[in-house]
Amino acid sequence: MKAGFYPKMAVSGMRKNGRLYVPYIATCILMVSVFYIMHLLGFSNILEGFAGAGTARDMLRLGTVVMAVFGTIFLFYTQSTLIKGRFKEFGLYSVLGMNRRNLGKIIFFETLITWFTAVTGGIAIGIGLSKLAELGFRKMIGIGSSYKFIISWQSILTTVIVYSFIFFLIFLNAARKVRFSRAINLIHSDKTGEKPPKANWFIGITGLLIMLSGYVIALKIEQPLSALIWFFVAVILIIIGTYITLIAGSVLLCRILQKNKKYYYKTNHFVSVSSMAYRMKRNGAGLASICILLTMVLVIMSSTSSLYLNREEVLHNHYPRQINCSANNYGFSEEYEKTASKLEDEIIKKTNEFGTEAKDIISISYCDISGYFENGKLNVDINPLEMTTTIDYDNVAVAYFISLEDYNGLTGKEEVLSNGEVLVAVNGNLPFENSISIGSETFKVAKKISSNEGNLKNIGMNGLVSSLIIVTDDFNGVASRFKDISDYRGEPMLVWEWKFAFDTGLDESQEQEFNNRLRSYIRDELYTGDFYLVRSECRSEQRDDFVKTFGGLFFLGILLSVIFLVSCVLIIYYKQISEGFEDQSRFGIMQKVGMTKEDIRNSINSQMLTVFIIPIILACIHLATVLPIVHKLLMLFGHNNVPLLLISAGICVLVCGIFYAAIYKVTSNAYYKIVA
Amino acid sequence: MSLLEAKNIKKIYKTRFGGASVEALKNVSFTVEKGEYVAIMGESGSGKTTLLNILAALDKPTEGTVILEDKDLTKVKEKDVAMFRRDNLGFVFQDFNLLDTFSLEDNIYLPLVLAGKKHAEMKQRLDSLAPALGIGEIIKKYPYEVSGGQKQRAAVARALITNPKIILADEPTGALDSKSSDELLALFKKVNQMGQTILMVTHSTKAASNASRVLFIKDGVIFHQIYKGEATDRQMYQKISDTLTLLAQGGDN
Repeated sequence: MKAGFYPKMAVSGMRKNGRLYVPYIATCILMVSVFYIMHLLGFSNILEGFAGAGTARDMLRLGTVVMAVFGTIFLFYTQSTLIKGRFKEFGLYSVLGMNRRNLGKIIFFETLITWFTAVTGGIAIGIGLSKLAELGFRKMIGIGSSYKFIISWQSILTTVIVYSFIFFLIFLNAARKVRFSRAINLIHSDKTGEKPPKANWFIGITGLLIMLSGYVIALKIEQPLSALIWFFVAVILIIIGTYITLIAGSVLLCRILQKNKKYYYKTNHFVSVSSMAYRMKRNGAGLASICILLTMVLVIMSSTSSLYLNREEVLHNHYPRQINCSANNYGFSEEYEKTASKLEDEIIKKTNEFGTEAKDIISISYCDISGYFENGKLNVDINPLEMTTTIDYDNVAVAYFISLEDYNGLTGKEEVLSNGEVLVAVNGNLPFENSISIGSETFKVAKKISSNEGNLKNIGMNGLVSSLIIVTDDFNGVASRFKDISDYRGEPMLVWEWKFAFDTGLDESQEQEFNNRLRSYIRDELYTGDFYLVRSECRSEQRDDFVKTFGGLFFLGILLSVIFLVSCVLIIYYKQISEGFEDQSRFGIMQKVGMTKEDIRNSINSQMLTVFIIPIILACIHLATVLPIVHKLLMLFGHNNVPLLLISAGICVLVCGIFYAAIYKVTSNAYYKIVA
Repeated sequence: MSLLEAKNIKKIYKTRFGGASVEALKNVSFTVEKGEYVAIMGESGSGKTTLLNILAALDKPTEGTVILEDKDLTKVKEKDVAMFRRDNLGFVFQDFNLLDTFSLEDNIYLPLVLAGKKHAEMKQRLDSLAPALGIGEIIKKYPYEVSGGQKQRAAVARALITNPKIILADEPTGALDSKSSDELLALFKKVNQMGQTILMVTHSTKAASNASRVLFIKDGVIFHQIYKGEATDRQMYQKISDTLTLLAQGGDN
């Protein structure tokens, strides 16, 4: 046979099936380019020098692996529907005298062409887009643009290797399918009936239970620290649950709808419900993928955008005043307090020397001790190494002791205490009655107070773990009673902290200059060795870091969302087109039996609406249940602005919904054009 | 007053670029009376499928009219055609045209669902129809689970359930084995005896010998017709064979 015969056959076959192959190849190109960009950002040194780079890179590296797995599954699925549509053609070839080897060659060349187009096109687009991505990224985190064009040979090589492997697998799969079928079966393959899937209650309910358990975890978590640990568990449970529920559950749903004679035997529902039931098994996975992708987009966008938008507030929470000095030390001694007030005097003097004044001063000193809260008691003599399996992170708590004087100063109140009674503010779920025990000491509680009053919120770690703030009129006495407790390593458990913050009324550059002077003054002259750490930080200097970190995360969020959305669009488009071809003959029959064009349109709308509405509604439910735990995670960044998070989530849902509706419109038109 | 009247039907197919034109039907006129069972015979390419498509309003004639009970089919508006077909005509196809996504029951309900009928009414209609067609047992099954004969009986049920004015059948025995063919023909006869008008296109002599009248079509014109009258199927078969022989030998009438 003439050379070039098989490649020619392959090309003409693909051209004839252009409507199927074009989106397929486009998908392949997209997958490759996304993989390349992720690999480039994750493994090259592009992101070097940006504050959150470590986390971002880890995320991108994980993303690279996810993309490879997701890509393989997705392309496998797409290609197997594609090859099915061509069995008739292959059947004809084999009747005309081609053996399976010859058919294999055609498939080989087709895969080769697809592979070549996908890898070269994907890498080319990836290189182009990666520059765009990098520029956008630099703009967002506010570092100057570089005009260097980064092409990473390592990323290119990895992409080529990974995708060559994936396409090799795809080729083997297709060749296997053709090899094991007979000519006559190939010709009639599209006519062989497929049994509509049986509704499986057991699997459906199992899936639902898995999903619900994910929900319960997401809703039950109280504290950011536990959120960090349980978030991924919840996410994985919800993903698995969604897949199982949609695969088994959608068949169940269709069966239930079919049983409801009033609903089922309506012109609009009749055709759509039955054809959905017919393909639901396949559809379920597609719907679940769409749902998961949408959920990821919603979660990522609402969290990163609200982080980015809220950066000033977070900055102010971390750095309540322009200049923020702090010091700490282990244990407690009255000397600490004396040194601290000496520090304060010196700093104020230094401020005046600089030609300005310290205003809105916050001055606090407090002691804290951490432990494990159980039955109204904070146990401080525990060994964390011994209880890793039974630990409930919601019960890990810190007790802060502050003096009544400081409390009144911070809140502007005039509380009075007597008889060793204390005021207690609780943050988290730590139940106790009229008294509370810390270690071996028990305090009578005079009153419960709010932990958010005035400047009281500057105490502690912004609610990362549960906490108790204990206000006492005998601060030195109480602190002394705890200072000798040591942990399993023999270090004192009580930590004394001092915070001194004030505004200067200086502009940014002066502020930074002043802070630099203050810093070296503290380091060189004030530091006496009493404290193991003394710091002075100014807010405007930290702002850069915040913008970089949150801007970087936001940018990553946008990048990932775009990728997920495009994948989502392709899944939907591909699904509609391939189903359109499948349904073509069915609608032909129905038209003969008396279905009007109007009926066709209505029935398509009804089908599309059901198919489309399930993932987005489920995605919104996912988002709603995951939001509380996302909020807890954001608290790790110091973000505690619930209204903003809700607003961002709402806007994301709205934007996503509009976008989704547009896809719906376009694909349902494409579908209609095929079938009518 | 005839139930169906085809007058001077002419159908010319043009190739896409207006070149050669093919005259599929030259000048066809005939009538079908209510309660008749008419077969149209002819060889491949004689124009019989074109004729059936025109009668079914699936295609429009180049010239001429088709009148079904006062209503001119060729004048029905494009958007009303499907509805008209659904309400007035029943179809039986050679390859059954059942939908594999539906059970047989739902396949039969399809035209009624499209017409917006209530489920109770549909069920009642099917219940009165099913025993006569012998599909009571298999009604819940899917098309790929039953034999060709059973599929065709379900298709007949789908055609009958709308109480159409006329049933149009296109080679209904074409894809069936001889036993199933016989059963289907017996079924058609029974349905006809119940008063149902049937018009069947076929090139099976055996199928045609069941009809009360046979029209022969050749090269786009009605060439000849014979009435069964009191003749038996066997005699009718002989008459048809003779006519076909005559046709094949090219003799003119």
